[in-house]
Parts: sequence; C-alpha cells; structure tokens
Amino acid sequence: MRRRFLLHAVLVAPLLPAARPAFAAAVSPLELAGPIAQYKLYVLDEARQLVERTERFTTAVKAGELARAQALYAATREPYERIEPLAELFSDLDGAIDSRADDHAKAEQDPDFTGFHRIEYGLFHEKSTDGLAPFADKLLADVRELHTRLQDLTTPPDKVVGGAAALIEEVAATKISGEENRYSGTDLSDFQANIDGSKKIVDVLRPLLQRADAALLAQVDGNFGRVNAILARYRTADGFQNYEKLSAADRNGLQAPITALAEDLSRLRGTLGLD
Amino acid sequence: MTDKPRSGGCPFHPGTGPVAGRRGLMLGLAGGGALLLPAQAKAQPAPAPLMQSPPGRDAGAAGTALPFYGPHQPGILNPPPAAGLVAAFDVLATTPEELQRLFRLLTGRIAFLMAGGTPPAADPRFPPNDSGILGPVILPDGLTVTLSVGASIFDERFGLQALRPRQLVAMPRFPNDAPDRDWMHGDLLLQICANTPAATLHALRDIIKHMPSLLRLRWKLEGFLPAGLGDASAETPRNLLGFKDGTANLDPADATLMDALVWAGPAQGEPAWAQGGSYQVVRIIRNFVERWDRTPLREQERIFGRRREDGAPLGRSAEHEAFDYADDPDGQRIALDAHIRLANPRTAESANSRILRRPFNYSRGITRAGQLDMGLLFICFQADLRAGFVAVQERLNGEPLEEYIKPTGGGYFFVLPGAAGPDAYLGQGLFPA
Repeated sequence: MRRRFLLHAVLVAPLLPAARPAFAAAVSPLELAGPIAQYKLYVLDEARQLVERTERFTTAVKAGELARAQALYAATREPYERIEPLAELFSDLDGAIDSRADDHAKAEQDPDFTGFHRIEYGLFHEKSTDGLAPFADKLLADVRELHTRLQDLTTPPDKVVGGAAALIEEVAATKISGEENRYSGTDLSDFQANIDGSKKIVDVLRPLLQRADAALLAQVDGNFGRVNAILARYRTADGFQNYEKLSAADRNGLQAPITALAEDLSRLRGTLGLD
Repeated sequence: MTDKPRSGGCPFHPGTGPVAGRRGLMLGLAGGGALLLPAQAKAQPAPAPLMQSPPGRDAGAAGTALPFYGPHQPGILNPPPAAGLVAAFDVLATTPEELQRLFRLLTGRIAFLMAGGTPPAADPRFPPNDSGILGPVILPDGLTVTLSVGASIFDERFGLQALRPRQLVAMPRFPNDAPDRDWMHGDLLLQICANTPAATLHALRDIIKHMPSLLRLRWKLEGFLPAGLGDASAETPRNLLGFKDGTANLDPADATLMDALVWAGPAQGEPAWAQGGSYQVVRIIRNFVERWDRTPLREQERIFGRRREDGAPLGRSAEHEAFDYADDPDGQRIALDAHIRLANPRTAESANSRILRRPFNYSRGITRAGQLDMGLLFICFQADLRAGFVAVQERLNGEPLEEYIKPTGGGYFFVLPGAAGPDAYLGQGLFPA
C-alpha cells in the first residue's frame, strides 16, 4: 500500500523503524551516481546510433531513393525517441530536429520547419525527395551536434529520474493519438522507443527502487509488460504496422497501463528522495 | 492494471485508517454549521472550526454540502446550480472485478468531494494529492456528482447483459440530428454540478487522477446557468435563444410525481437492481444564434409559442398561467407546431410523457465557418425512456425550431440508484452480493 504508507510515514515510521524502509530517505544521493553514469553510457550509445542511422537515412534522401528513405525513416528516429529526456535539454536542437508543423506559424510551408518531420512530410505526404537535400544536410549536422553536446553534458540526476515519467507523458499526450508522425503513420515505432527509453531509466534505478518501494516497482513492471504485449501484436519484420491499424480496443488497452505508468512514474523522483 | 486500492479510512483515499482519521476532516463554516464526513458523522461531535471560508468567497454557498447517500443519486431533483458539466468515459476495466473496483473507487471519491475536507498533506517531493485549484481546503460549493451508465456497459465485457435496463440502447439518430461520433455515447457518464466552474473541474480532475487505469475520457461539455435557481424569487432561466426554458417543468418537490415519472424500477418492468434509478438523456443541441438574432421577434415567438419578454404563452397574460389548448384547437393563439405545444400538448394522453428537464447552456468556441458554437446542453430524466423523451422528441421532429437548432451529440444513459450509506457503493446491485 504505497500511498497509504506515504500518508502514514511521517507519523508511523519512527515507531516502526524496521517495518518499512523510510520513504525518500532510503536512498542517498551518492547511490544515484552509479545508475546515472550507467544511463549516460546508454544515452551516448544511442546518440552514436542516431548519428549512424541518420547518415544512412540522409544519404538515401539525397540520392533520391524514395522507397529506401521511407523504409529507414521510423528506425532512424528510434534512438532519438529513447533518449529524449536528455536530448530535449537542448531546446534549439530539439526544435530543429523534432518539431512538428503545428509548432510553426506557416506550418509545413514555414522555413523554420526542419528536421525529421519536415523530411517525413516530403517522403510520405508529397511522396518525393525533391527539395529535401538541404533538410537532410541540416538534420545530419544537428544530430552530430547533439552527440557532441551530450558527450560534454553533466547529467542532471533529476532529469534522468524524471525522464522516465517525461517519456510516458510524451506517449500519453501525442503518441497514443497518432498525431506526431501524421504523414508516415509510424507512431507505434516512436511509442515503443519512448517506452524502451523509460524502461531503461527504471532498469538502471532498479536496485534502488526495489529497496525504496518494491510495490511501486512491481506495478510499474507490470504495466510496462502490458504495453509491450500489446505493441508486440503490431510488430512487422522491420518495424511496426501503420498507426491506423491500431484497433480501438487495443488503443483503450494501451491507455490504461500508460496512464497508470504516468501516475506511478511521477512518483519516482520523490521515491528516490530527489527534489 | 492495478491501481493500488486506496482502502482504509482516509477521506482522500477512502478508508485509509486511523492516522488519516485523526487529521480532522471536519469543516466548520461560519454560519453554515459543521459539516462532517459521513464516516465520522456518528463517531465524533462537531469540533471547533478548523478553517474559515477563504476571503472574498460566499461562505454560505461555498460551504454548502448536499447529501450524497440515499435511495436516489443527487443532481437530479435539486435545483441546478450555476455550473454543470457532463463527462463521458470509456471504461478501461476488462473484468467484472475491475469494474466493481471502479464503482467502489468512484463512490469513495464522490462521497469525499461532495462533503469536502482537507486533502492529506504529501511529501513535497511527490506530486500533490490534490490539484489545489480550490485552495488548501476543498469546500464542496454545492457539488453533486451523478453517475450513470450507457448501454455499452452491458455488452459482453462484464457479463452484465441480463441486467441491462430494458430500454437502454445507444441513442439513435433523430431526423434533425447531425451526430458527431466524437461527442456521443460512453460506458459511463458523470454529471458534475456546483456553484462554480472551478468546483466542477476540480471534481473531474480528482476523479481522473484517482482512476488512471480504469477510465478514459471520451467527451466532455461544460454548461452554465444563472446562479440562485431554486430560490422562490428566481426567474425561469433563459436559453441562448433568449427564451425562458423550464416554465412547465415537473416540480421536483412533488414526490408522487417523481415516483411516477422520474424514478425507474420494477414497476416499469426494470430489473430489481434498477429501483431508484432513472433514464438520463443528454443532447448537445447547437443553436444557430447568428441566424436566430436575424429573425423577426414575432416569428421567434411563434416558433416557441411564448412571449420572449416574460415567457407568457401567446395569448395568455402570465408565464405561469394554467391553460390547455382546448380553446385553441386550430392554433389561433399558439401555432399547432409551436415548440411548447408539441413538447407538451397538455392532454390526458400526453401527461405521462412529461420529463424532468435539467439543462444547462453551453458555449464552446466557434465553428469553421466563424460562427458561434453555443446552445443547449440538454439533460432530462424519466422513468420510462420511450414514454418520456422519445415520445416528446417524436412530436418535435420537423418542428419549425429545427431550422435554428442542430443536435450533434450526447447519449442515452441510466442513472444508477443511490448509495444507501457509507458501506454501499454506486452500481452495487450489478454485482453478486
């Protein structure tokens, strides 16, 4: 009874020192250092993959290989979607790499609309690589710059721990509705990447969470499992089916564990004693 | 999906045990007497007031707590307050046990919200327990939350097929309707009413936060009315076409009438569990107000059958004058197709088609054509759906008013019987004891 415990902790904990771990105080800041370092390595590895995949993707775009570029689009984005909690810290790059047409005054025609979704618009809406070369060059330059900046970043623990929830909030706000990759319908791929990125954070924190609130961890694991089981039904040989294939029943089936994860993961920072 | 059961004795997490119980959930309000949470009402005498109404708020109105427990749910017979919303949900529960848990959780939240109190303090490193939009103390502000179910709850998911109220179906399309499927139906409907919009939205957010894996919001519409309805001096509210709406409504104080026309049960052929419930019809009826405002007053009045200024039936002297159409068989005074005449012909045959209306006005932005999207959030209650709303609507089909209105959403629902007391929960009759 996690919530009940929290409510009682202040009054009850001193009387029952051994009965339950005291909330928040169970984990010292020093203990976070290992998991944070582990996560940093994960992020850098993903960033390296992002650069490599973007190189292949933009090469295809510039070579006018429409079908190949379309096929590479979803997978190229995956590393970015996994590490968004840190990638988003650089708002200039995030806007250049991952903004949507809605974020710009002139929508698709806005000169500041660049990055993945601008190229997606060309590949899937206009079904052409014409005119995409400058966007491809800029995207590659931007993800390389991101990789560099991530290497130099001092990783803020609260952003890492809070990132598990932030990724789920992304899913709850824009992935479950299928509105992010509106031209390509590849939202289930982003969806999976966000889930994987969130789960990675839980995994590096697992020993601490197990000690601080095992019930919370079990509930979180259960809901990750439910989401993954539903997403697995939509996997194909090289990715995921179009978002439109997601049945209404499965969308509702995803909504329940996603919303529960959003609520539960919103408690991670407190559980680990982070302000 | 396993939300932790928040069991115990804390009003915020219903039933959390003795520690929370000591936190003091009593509201002592200047002039309003002490309001006790039901679970504690019997156990403890009224304490000294723990807090005062916030400055600048109407202490009496803000402190008003309406009773939740009883044979019928609240929010039907009490006069509508100034703010009301309906929110329809898809149920994410997938088993009868989860559905039962949902009903228990909902009942606990509603009981707490309607009584008011102080949310338990949380470690500030965690998300707060309450949205805070009403301040540190939740004053109920005349809040009612009314839970009803749609026909879809009786599909194969929960094994409740045999318990469906016999007339409960998905609302069909009527001839003038332009149904927008994003604004229709739902497994559950919450009707939330209070003196202020903030109090209704607070309740909605609280319920959504506490049931993350059990409910998905499907559609929601907020409405408004003048404050103070139900007072002896209150005028009949006007709809957004400028006409009084509700003059000839059923008198909710007439218990015999309510038993005959509002409350459903075995007498209407309903299953035993449904005793004390009611059919609820919700219709989102857009009014073409720009066009209406360009219509001559005399034509407006002919369409409704009332004078706009004071609500008097045409050819009569006062709004509430008793009359029937026996002396006007050809529609000399009130046209045969006037709205009020079709809605209620005032004959012996039409007496049992009278319904208890409890609508709000709504306004929600503009259309793609740059016109105002506003109208009536129509809500009515009846014991017999076919004899009530459906009969009225069938008489109204084709009325001249249709040129100015367009129903676009809503649904048929069945209000669950009330929760008898703190040990009972809404929907209990649907589950084996």
